[in-house]
Amino acid sequence: MKNVLRSLLMWLCTLLVFLFPLGAIAIVSEECQDCHGDMDTVGEELFINVGVYDNTAHAEMGCLSCHESVGEEHPDDGVEVSKANCLDCHAEIEEEHQASAHGGNATCGDCHNPHRVHGLTEVSGYDLNQQCANCHQNSSVVESHSEWLPQADLHVAKLPCISCHTASEDYVIILYIIQQESEAVEGDFELSDHADLQTLAGDRNIQSLIDLNQDNFVSLAELRTFNRNPGYEKMRLEATLTPKIVSHSVQTLDNRWDCSFCHTSGTEKMQTSFIALPNAEGTFSRIEVERGAILKALNGTPDFYMMGTTRSASLNIIGLMIIIGGLLMPIGHGTLRFLTRKNRQH
Amino acid sequence: MAEKKMIYLQPTPVRIWHWLNALGIVTLCATGAQIRFPEYVTLFSEYKSAIILHNTAGFVVAISFSIWFFYYAFVARSMGKIYVPKADDIKVGIFRQAKFYFLTYFLGWDNPHHPTPEDKFNPLQKSAYLAIMFVLVPLVSLTGILLTNVDPLRGLIIMMGGLKILMGLHFLLACSLCAFLFTHIYLATLGHTPFAHFKPMWTGWEEDLEEHLEEHLEEHHSPVAH
Ligand code: HEC
Ligand code: HEC
Ligand code: HEC
Ligand code: HEC
Ligand code: HEC
Ligand code: HEC
Repeated sequence: MKNVLRSLLMWLCTLLVFLFPLGAIAIVSEECQDCHGDMDTVGEELFINVGVYDNTAHAEMGCLSCHESVGEEHPDDGVEVSKANCLDCHAEIEEEHQASAHGGNATCGDCHNPHRVHGLTEVSGYDLNQQCANCHQNSSVVESHSEWLPQADLHVAKLPCISCHTASEDYVIILYIIQQESEAVEGDFELSDHADLQTLAGDRNIQSLIDLNQDNFVSLAELRTFNRNPGYEKMRLEATLTPKIVSHSVQTLDNRWDCSFCHTSGTEKMQTSFIALPNAEGTFSRIEVERGAILKALNGTPDFYMMGTTRSASLNIIGLMIIIGGLLMPIGHGTLRFLTRKNRQH
Repeated sequence: MAEKKMIYLQPTPVRIWHWLNALGIVTLCATGAQIRFPEYVTLFSEYKSAIILHNTAGFVVAISFSIWFFYYAFVARSMGKIYVPKADDIKVGIFRQAKFYFLTYFLGWDNPHHPTPEDKFNPLQKSAYLAIMFVLVPLVSLTGILLTNVDPLRGLIIMMGGLKILMGLHFLLACSLCAFLFTHIYLATLGHTPFAHFKPMWTGWEEDLEEHLEEHLEEHHSPVAH
């Protein structure tokens, strides 16, 4: 149903596009960027980062689809420029959004910049939470959540808010490369951006830093090589969980509150993971990781452990053997003791 | 039959300490099992309750350990005497005690070690407690403290090789403590009656069967002479 709606929308948009002389659009869009893509001409307020915009789903439509009233004389005509309403094209989101706590409280524009829209798979967890932090101050979220959530600071630092606050049935594990900025041993880690990784990779593709054979699949062996490489001493992999599907029905959910969504869901869900590599434009691309990497005791993801669900099977076996060892004394000795009980009856 | 001689073996603070630890460690094992295997162990209805209880019990045991350590090391200054095996213990005592547990016990001989307040533990006990109290418990507590403060102590955790290693260590140490628990409780039933060793840990008083023993020595011609 959603897909039908979506393709209908796409079709309408395309139709809209054909209503304009096509060539004109391209020329006009470029014209717009001559001024609005240059900080010196229009100033910071009106500046559009063209490199980012051109890689968004909105770029294909051209500026005029959303700013219809821009005329020949712009900007000198003094005509107020129209700005499209998101709902003209994204009506399906409106209902969900209005029904949530954000209906009337947060507009589309509060969380999205129409010139830098990205899908869920293209943004980092940091970017996702940046949207929320504009209104929900991080420190007060930590404070209110620590009333019921053990290690709330850790949860808020590592998880996108929407993993807990939207009703996605499922989540995926995403690994990011982070690096230590300062020389200090305990220095803070920051998300590596494209430039950081390019410096490290030299003239190679940054994907080759971790996906050694560049087959768009990171095997356990490749992960191990990355984690053990002394040259990447300052780099680590950190993981987060993002929802599988996007929803705008922001809410608080029982299975997040009682921790069962993530911590008691069994090891099966933990099998699949992706590595998100930063692109030059600030977005991310995902590469699939070998099944089970997250569950490996040592070299898969040394810094990612989620209680209850990422336990390693081999450690479980060793632990069991230790406990059985402890039982040998009572059982073995106890048996002999029973058999020789007569000797102690004085 | 000789008269029973009672000796005051376990002073009140030690008994409180022991049972607090016992309760704490059993709670830790149970909640720990639920935290690691939530699909299979559901002692507590909510995962969160298991975690909060685990953290609280861990905190209590860690504090109780510290008190124990400071008391014996700095106040009573008897840590060395009570817990560290002497050269003699290592050369002869351990073997004598092991021989008792694994051989002469079955033949009906008596325990070669007689606890006194100054010499509470037999050489095997000393070595076991040395390992438990100076290696297992401190390590399991330290890893636990790191694991309950992952965000603030991230730097330290990374220095130790990462969360996974820390977690693995905590788990295996905990399994070892659990294994110790079984052995510990079983060995405690090896007194002259199954509950003989439990009593002093509850009341403080132990029946000393020294005289008792002498009678039997005649019969058995035990090489473990006194
Ligand atoms: C010659 C440089 C130039 C070109 C070309 C140009 N603009 Fe502008 N635009 C401006 C300036 C300067 C302003 C500010 C006008 C004002 O404040 O009165 C402006 C204002 C705007 C605004 C309104 C901003 C606001 O918040 O009020 C929009 C939207 C806009 N332009 C879109 C476009 C689009 C779309 C195109 C291409 C079809 C375009 N512009 C082409 C210079 C230009
Ligand atoms: C998907 C619709 C859409 C497209 C495509 C689009 N804009 Fe916008 N634009 C908007 C909306 C909506 C606003 C109002 C944002 C606000 O008020 O926060 C806006 C605001 C602006 C502004 C005012 C400054 C700002 O950032 O708020 C400028 C300038 C502008 N657009 C230029 C452009 C140019 C140039 C292009 C093409 C390169 C373009 N727009 C493409 C929807 C669009
Ligand atoms: C003229 C029609 C139109 C308008 C107006 C419009 N969009 Fe879009 N938008 C699209 C199309 C077409 C796509 C790409 C297909 C899709 O994902 O649905 C898209 C995609 C998106 C995406 C996903 C980007 C991705 O890469 O998956 C976001 C987020 C988005 N729009 C937000 C907005 C916001 C916020 C507004 C209002 C400021 C807005 N849109 C206004 C047509 C529009
Ligand atoms: C509270 C913040 C917030 C508000 C308000 C909000 N969104 Fe979103 N939206 C998000 C987040 C977070 C995502 C997922 C990440 C991303 O694509 O940026 C998202 C994703 C989207 C997507 C892409 C969906 C997909 O399947 O990839 C579209 C389209 C979109 N929003 C449109 C809208 C529209 C239209 C409105 C206004 C009715 C709106 N959003 C209001 C936070 C918000
Ligand atoms: C424009 C400001 C704004 C932004 C941005 C924003 N919120 Fe909100 N949010 C609000 C307001 C206002 C409320 C209503 C507060 C209330 O009811 O007391 C709210 C309520 C909520 C609630 C409470 C829901 C409930 O059932 O009580 C949650 C959860 C929430 N927001 C999550 C988010 C998340 C996640 C993001 C980022 C994707 C986000 N918010 C971004 C303003 C914002
Ligand atoms: C581990 C899951 C989880 C994460 C991560 C999380 N929340 Fe929540 N949040 C909850 C739950 C569960 C509640 C309901 C608490 C209650 O009912 O006592 C809640 C309540 C809220 C509320 C309403 C009550 C209050 O405490 O103010 C807001 C607003 C909110 N969260 C915003 C956020 C924002 C913003 C983020 C990201 C910085 C975030 N949450 C991260 C699970 C989470």
